Formats: sequence, C-alpha cells, structure tokens
Amino acid sequence: MIRIESFSFTYEGEKAPALEDITLRVEEGGFAGIIGPAGAGKTTLARAVSGIIPHHYPGDYYGRILVGGLDPVDTSLTDLSRIVGMVFQDVESQIVSSVVEDELLYGLENFGVPHEEIPERLETALRQAGIENLRERSIASLSGGQRQKVAIASIIALRPRVLILDEPTGELDPVSSRQIFAMLKTLNEAYGITVIVIEQKIMLLSEFARQLIVLSRGKIAYQGPAREVLSHADELLQLGVNCPRVARLSMLLSERLGKPLPVCVNLDESEAQVRGCLHD
Amino acid sequence: MRDLFQYVPGNSLIHRLNPVTKIFLTVVICVAAFITDRIPYLLFLLCVDLGIGFAAGVPRKALGILKGLLRIAVFLFVLQALVVRRGTPVFWIFTDTGLVTASKVVLRLIVVCMPLAMVLAVTRISDLANALVQVLHLPYKYAFTLTTAIRFIPQFLEEMGGIMEAQTARGVEFDTKNAFRKLGLMLPLCAPLLISSVRRSEATAVAAEVRGFRLRTRASGYKQYPFAPADLAVLLFSVLLIAGAVLI
Repeated sequence: MIRIESFSFTYEGEKAPALEDITLRVEEGGFAGIIGPAGAGKTTLARAVSGIIPHHYPGDYYGRILVGGLDPVDTSLTDLSRIVGMVFQDVESQIVSSVVEDELLYGLENFGVPHEEIPERLETALRQAGIENLRERSIASLSGGQRQKVAIASIIALRPRVLILDEPTGELDPVSSRQIFAMLKTLNEAYGITVIVIEQKIMLLSEFARQLIVLSRGKIAYQGPAREVLSHADELLQLGVNCPRVARLSMLLSERLGKPLPVCVNLDESEAQVRGCLHD
Repeated sequence: MRDLFQYVPGNSLIHRLNPVTKIFLTVVICVAAFITDRIPYLLFLLCVDLGIGFAAGVPRKALGILKGLLRIAVFLFVLQALVVRRGTPVFWIFTDTGLVTASKVVLRLIVVCMPLAMVLAVTRISDLANALVQVLHLPYKYAFTLTTAIRFIPQFLEEMGGIMEAQTARGVEFDTKNAFRKLGLMLPLCAPLLISSVRRSEATAVAAEVRGFRLRTRASGYKQYPFAPADLAVLLFSVLLIAGAVLI
C-alpha cells in the first residue's frame, strides 16, 4: 500500500535533513506504529506520506514514495486525500465548524458523497468513534479528548484506504487512549483500512501495531514486527524510546533462565509466560 | 468577551430562520438606524434588538453584548459631546445639541452592533457559510474566509489569555489596575500571537485541503436552505422597519 524508497527530505532553509534515507513498506491492511524521540522526523514522515510534503512544505526531496500506486509529487493533494486520511497533531487547526455534526459533514460534502448516503456515513462514523451522544454539541464546549475523537470521526467518515494519525492520544487520558486504539483496531480489521499511527505511548503501540518503525534523528533505527523491534530494549532506551514493562520482563526472564523466550506485548501474554516459567 | 461569537444551540423560531434572512434582518436594522434621525425610533430599534435576543432564548447573551457595548458607548458619548460645540450650554461645557448628537451616535452604535453579534449566537457558522454560498451564490472561498475569521477570534483570545495568565504567574503585573500599564505589557505579546496565528492559519488551510476544500461547489452542501413562511414574515417586518425609519 505504501512504499518508500531511499526517501530524504530537507525543509527549505534548514541545513540538516529532517528525514534521511528512509526505506519502508506498509502492506495493505497493515497497522504500523511510528515512534521516536521529539525531533526524530515522525511528523515529517506523516506529511510526506499524506502528500502535504512537498505540496505545502517546499524543500529538497529525494527518493520516491508510492501511496496506493500514486506518487505524491505528481498527484494533487486533493486526489491523494481520497486515498489517505490524515488526523493532525493540532486538532484545533483541523476543525472547521462550530457543531460536531457539521464537522463530519464537511469532508463528505466536499468529496461529493451522494446525499442519500450521507446520513448512514455520519452515523457510522459517530458510532465508530463512540461519540453518538455528541452529535448536536457545540465543539467549543467539548474537552480535548472529545475534540480529538471528533477530528478522527470526521476523517473516518470519508472511508480512506489509509489512515494516518499524528499523536492521536496526546491529550487523552489512559482510558480514552485505549478506546482510540481499540477503534483503530476495528477500522483496521473490519474495514481493512491501513493504519499508520505516530504515538509516544509504547505500551499501546506494542499491543495494537503489528509493525513498528523506530525513528531517530531522521533515520530508521529499527523496523519490523513489534515483537522483534521490542527485543532491542536496551538500544531503544538509549535512543530515548521506552520499552513496555511486559517486554522487558520477557527479556529479563529469558536472561535469568538462560533460554530464549518470545517477547510479550500485552498483559495477558505476560501473565501466561510468567505462569509457564513458574510451572517449569 | 471570550464567548461573544460563540454559537448557542437552540431550537427557537429565530434559530430556525434561514441564515440569509437573519443576515438580511441585521442589515435592515443597520440601514434603519442610519436613516432615522429620531431618538425614540432608535430606542425602538434597540427594543427590537433585545426582543430578538429574548425570542431566540439567549437573553443573557443579548444583555451581555449590550453591557459590553455600553462601556464603549460611555467613552464615545463623552467624546462626542465634547467635540460638538454648537447649541446652548446646559451643563459645564456640554451643549444641548452636543448631548443630543452624542446620544444618537451611541444609540446607533449599539443598535447596529447588537444584531451582528447575535446572528452568530443563533446561527451555526457552517449554516451561515452554506446558505451564503447556496442562496446568495457567494464563492465558497470567501464564505470559508469569513467563517474561519469568526472562528479564530475566540481561539485568539484564549491564546492571549493563556499567555497573560502564564506571565502573571511568573510575576508580570497583568493584574494591574492601571489600564495604560496593562496595555504596555500587552504590546510585546503581539508578535508571538501574530506568528502563532499565521502558523495556525496555514495548518487550517492544509487541513481543509486534505478534506476536499478545492472540490467544493455550490451543490456540495448537504443541508438545503429553503425559505419558510417565517422568513416571509421577517421580510415583511423588515419592510415595516425601513418604512418606519423613513416616515417617522
């Protein structure tokens, strides 16, 4: 679905490249998580995939990106946005209406979704985001987390094939963060939407994302299946990326017991593993 | 002040009017206020303004706007009364003509500004934009500019308030009673505020574009804005307001 080959980008007026020699693939229906310390180039990568780079941010662009077979350089942002939906880090700037319902309508109207199809799309998106009860509310009266959900709902209403989210849980409490990821999982599994999410909460990523991409100073430090990447706990910590405790526990156990154990990514797995070790 | 332009959800007759009708009524009130030269009629228009506010179920908002305007009005009244030097003195250096002229100016200001602010309280911004595009054939680009500007005002004030609170917490005297001193402290905030709002407007442009801003046409709007009998009634009322201003 997404192919990036030797991609480098330097923002105009900057000396150091924001991204350097990035090569990666995300398959159709994949769920990829991007993590890395501040300034690692996470947002730049999201912008490049969604076509905002180079259309809105000029700079030196090397390499090639293909999104659903389209090259963002030759495709207009409007055409690209029929495939890729992007939820921005600054939710405030994304919102164009004063009422939740209108916010969802905006994209649907623009992309010419047939009017008889609109009510169903609206209701589905509200349900998927778990905000049916907010439909008539004024956006100014919502909390940060609720606004985040509205922003996501307004994008999923468009049913993009690829959904990119830049730190969608940045302003959310742990319960809502988990809800958002559960929602992304449903979208990914039930609707086959390819999900790419930039996230600082490693525990959520390790549990939900199947593919992890660790960025550091504009380069890919590690990428691959979540378990594989998490087995580099010490190296990740040096880059400024924490490893979930369940993963560290697996590694500690395997070190102490002197036998290789699979890296756990959630609490249930970890519990089973510890029980198994005690049993032995 | 912060929620001055914010939409108040409701289902009153005024809320349900066609957005274009509301704008039209606002313009009519403005025109009537400038045509008439009689204080009683201006007071009558003020009552119309307040009546609309009460009918829309936003009396607190209407009175809030009035209160805000009164502060400016007092200042303007004194200034105007001092400037006009014709007529016979009635009190200190104030003349009768001066006082009458000042009253008219101030009343006009209030009568004209109130409905403008109230339209935004009882109309969703998106309805306003869509109706302007669909009914008045305004290009969407301009409608979007207008609505974005309106939406930015509370955000801008919020940001300003945030910076001021943060600086007060670090010992800057924003809580001073001296208005001039406060103004002096506020000036240096202009540059960062301007930069952040330019940045925000860029982000908004991108966000709108990835949601198909460029594809939008007059036929895009999902909601339709037909004219109802109530709109006709308002139209009739508008004609009466203008006629009253000319004849009385």
